[in-house]
Amino acid sequence: MANAQTLAASLNPATSPDTVARAELREIDASARWPVIIFLVSGLIWLLIGTGFALISSIKLHTPDFLGDYQWLTFGRARTAHLNSVIYGWSTNVAFAVAFWLMARLSRAKLRHGGLLIVAACFWNLGVTIGVIGILAGDSTSIEWLEIPPYATPLLFVAYALVGVWAIITFRFRKSEHVYVSQWYLLAALFWFPWLYSVAQIMLIFEPARGTVQALVNWWFAHNVLGLWFTPIGLAAAYYFIPKVLGKPIHSYYLSVLGFWSLAIFYNWAGVHHLIGGPVPAWVISAGIAASIMMVIPVVVTAINHHFTMVGSFGALRSSPTLRFVVFGAVNYTLVSLTGSAMAIRGFNEVTHFTHFTVAHAHQGMYAFFTMVMFGSVYYIMPRLLLKEWPSATLIRTHFWATAIGITFYWVELSIGGWIQGTEMNNASIPFIDVVQHTIPYLFLRSVSGIVITIGHVAFAINVVWMLFARRPAGATAPTLFHPPAALQPTPAR
Amino acid sequence: MNRGPLIFLGIFFALAFSWTGVVLTNQIQFGSLTPFYDQNDGKTYPEKRSGLAERGRLVYQDLGCLYCHSQQVRRPGFGADTERGWGDRQSVARDYVNDKRVYLGTMRTGPDLRNIGARQPSADWHYLHLFDPRLTSPGSIMAPFGFLYEYRKVLGERSPKALKLPADYARRRGLDQPGYELVPTPRAEALVAYLLSLKDTYDFPEAKPYVPKTGGGAK
Amino acid sequence: MSADISDRPPGEPAGASDEQLQNIHSILLREKPEPTEGYSPLPLMLLGLMSGLVFFSAIYLGRYSGGFDPLVYDERILPGMLEAGGPPAAQDPKIIGKRVFTNCATCHQTTGLGLPGAYPPLAGSEWAQGTENRIIRILLNGLSGPITVESKSFNNSMPAFGPLLRDDQIAAVLTYVRSEWGNNAPPVSPDKVKDIRAAVASRSGPWSPDELLKIP
Repeated sequence: MANAQTLAASLNPATSPDTVARAELREIDASARWPVIIFLVSGLIWLLIGTGFALISSIKLHTPDFLGDYQWLTFGRARTAHLNSVIYGWSTNVAFAVAFWLMARLSRAKLRHGGLLIVAACFWNLGVTIGVIGILAGDSTSIEWLEIPPYATPLLFVAYALVGVWAIITFRFRKSEHVYVSQWYLLAALFWFPWLYSVAQIMLIFEPARGTVQALVNWWFAHNVLGLWFTPIGLAAAYYFIPKVLGKPIHSYYLSVLGFWSLAIFYNWAGVHHLIGGPVPAWVISAGIAASIMMVIPVVVTAINHHFTMVGSFGALRSSPTLRFVVFGAVNYTLVSLTGSAMAIRGFNEVTHFTHFTVAHAHQGMYAFFTMVMFGSVYYIMPRLLLKEWPSATLIRTHFWATAIGITFYWVELSIGGWIQGTEMNNASIPFIDVVQHTIPYLFLRSVSGIVITIGHVAFAINVVWMLFARRPAGATAPTLFHPPAALQPTPAR
Repeated sequence: MNRGPLIFLGIFFALAFSWTGVVLTNQIQFGSLTPFYDQNDGKTYPEKRSGLAERGRLVYQDLGCLYCHSQQVRRPGFGADTERGWGDRQSVARDYVNDKRVYLGTMRTGPDLRNIGARQPSADWHYLHLFDPRLTSPGSIMAPFGFLYEYRKVLGERSPKALKLPADYARRRGLDQPGYELVPTPRAEALVAYLLSLKDTYDFPEAKPYVPKTGGGAK
Repeated sequence: MSADISDRPPGEPAGASDEQLQNIHSILLREKPEPTEGYSPLPLMLLGLMSGLVFFSAIYLGRYSGGFDPLVYDERILPGMLEAGGPPAAQDPKIIGKRVFTNCATCHQTTGLGLPGAYPPLAGSEWAQGTENRIIRILLNGLSGPITVESKSFNNSMPAFGPLLRDDQIAAVLTYVRSEWGNNAPPVSPDKVKDIRAAVASRSGPWSPDELLKIP
């Protein structure tokens, strides 16, 4: 492949620096091609596997005898297999892919030693596969978000070490003087995750802490995987794609700085809110609640930043798949985080703790925010890696509407069901079995929304596979959009 | 915000701050909490579990029971845990010092189990309930654990551990063949032993319930 | 982009076909520039919101920190408050009885109707409404063997609750059972439970219904 300079020069010897910069991006994309594709495809496979386990688990809750004879599929194992497939399988694989691509682009440095990353992908996916099979076989540790049996975790460590080394190298060789906001989030996420995981492994599995100190470590770890690993990567993607697709700058650098540091300081104390009312000292619970309330600051700041960047360009949502998925995700980030701050208040928590409300909240965060932002990112990245367009706008449309409607219905109805469950559970004159019975319609509706979401995933998978195997087009191509952009609409003749 | 080392330092201290506060401080404050020795009884509480119950704990772990059942009682007045008879008092850290792995749980699809050994001390009930929850609790959505049992030919005498199924239920499920019995496997026995060991009935000094002062003098 | 060899810089291999170049150019040129940041100032409202939140959180943490004492689990307690409350007021036996009954409900059900073929009903039961000498013994030591309740026969085991429940709890739950679901029998007093507990102190093992029927 010709290098950036000659490529740009082939257009016109007097090319602008802007075009040279774009040619450079082309080179960077080419260097990133195989590592990112491998992580993306692995992620997609895990998404489908995780969706399968999700449906099985959801059905088992309202129809408990469904597949009831199979020990390896008992609810406690199927649900755990679902969680680990979507967290460490789908979400982390796609997070790696998007993080690398963003880091390479923003550093304006080619992805060096892509072979390292391909090896890392193999180790990571091998580890998760062995882990999920181990869970189904009965070796789950039953530590929430850390259920992968200890025999599989060394593989994950090797994979991550390779990723960490690579990320530092790429950042070290960056060409840009200015470190864009997305890069802060990516660097932070890549540094924080291994620290969290290592502490959890040591203090819960290898040298377990005594008594409920375990619970504190567990929820410091698990909540921070959400807040300090997935959230920064999702925000990094949103901070890149919204201004990139629109061609506008982010509203305010100062808001970005404030948002980043307030998230860094407050988010990691919030994990204790999973233990409100529990057998841990009241002071650490109150600290967790205080931090959860303070989280309103980074959330509001980010919302303002994104909103004012979008203002005046909402019309672009009609045409761009990337923008639509990412903005859907960003809006849900604001909603789910504000709900989370509310859930930490003791009075609210008294009702929602231990109920399906929490499950709805978790899915709104990991799916309606993180996964939807990742979908949008994939729709932008793949054409640039493969130099092909998405084969079918109809499939993208199906994917969007099925997942958007599915997940919104999911978290709304299950929140209602969970709230009712919590209110009734706090009323001792209502027998527990009645409380359970009243949740069943909501659990059934959750299975229905799960099927709708699955349709979206299948549409996505078909589009990806089709795109991978399609022949590279010969001539100039136009992006696959929902509708032609307004600027290109033919104006009626006067 | 363009200097790599500064950003790194900030990122490091951000997580170090919460790691110190949430993890390290608490490990120092109550990470070496010991069981409480009662002079009058001459025993330490909480009492240790039997070997069979420890094996049962591993069955509880591998089947993922904590994803539907919590094991923590909240204080009176916060939720209805004590009103529902799930415990006499709030669970405290000392209740868990002998637990090799703590299964506090975060879901109550099913009831809290911290004191199930005190609340439901009948092993027979547990065997029936685990075999088919809807047998003892109509309307329950709990998973059936039939694979923890064996339907086998009676060898000589009927086993004393054989489940006593109600006649019409046995007929409906085809479990009423003469000369056959339904017995729990060792995993089921261990699990039930574990469940029966779950009782936090000792009143530690720090677990005394707090009764707010009501106007005037308290005493 | 002509095919004339003399147009190419010397020594530079042809990296891509003309068609590919054209394709690349179209994707390359349509992309917007890399994102940058604008410099709009912080809204004043935000500073107000932040100050409010910091103030609120600080007060919250101060009030509900329990003096940062690791043995304080109830967030309402502040240092020096632990002994202030005094013993809790004595509770209505019916409330205690209803709460203890949740133990029994797993078998006898909250409706008191039991489970046909498995657990006898308590609602309308002649045993429950009969002499307290028998039912106190059942609760203390358990029951095992064939029994007839409301003309239906059962053959099961009930565990002993003597070691698990206090006298006042046993009295309360029996009082509850004897006055609920249309049952109408006199309440049971904790002193009576205490007497019977002393009388059967040497007994181990559950009662059989035949043994109990011999007790007046």
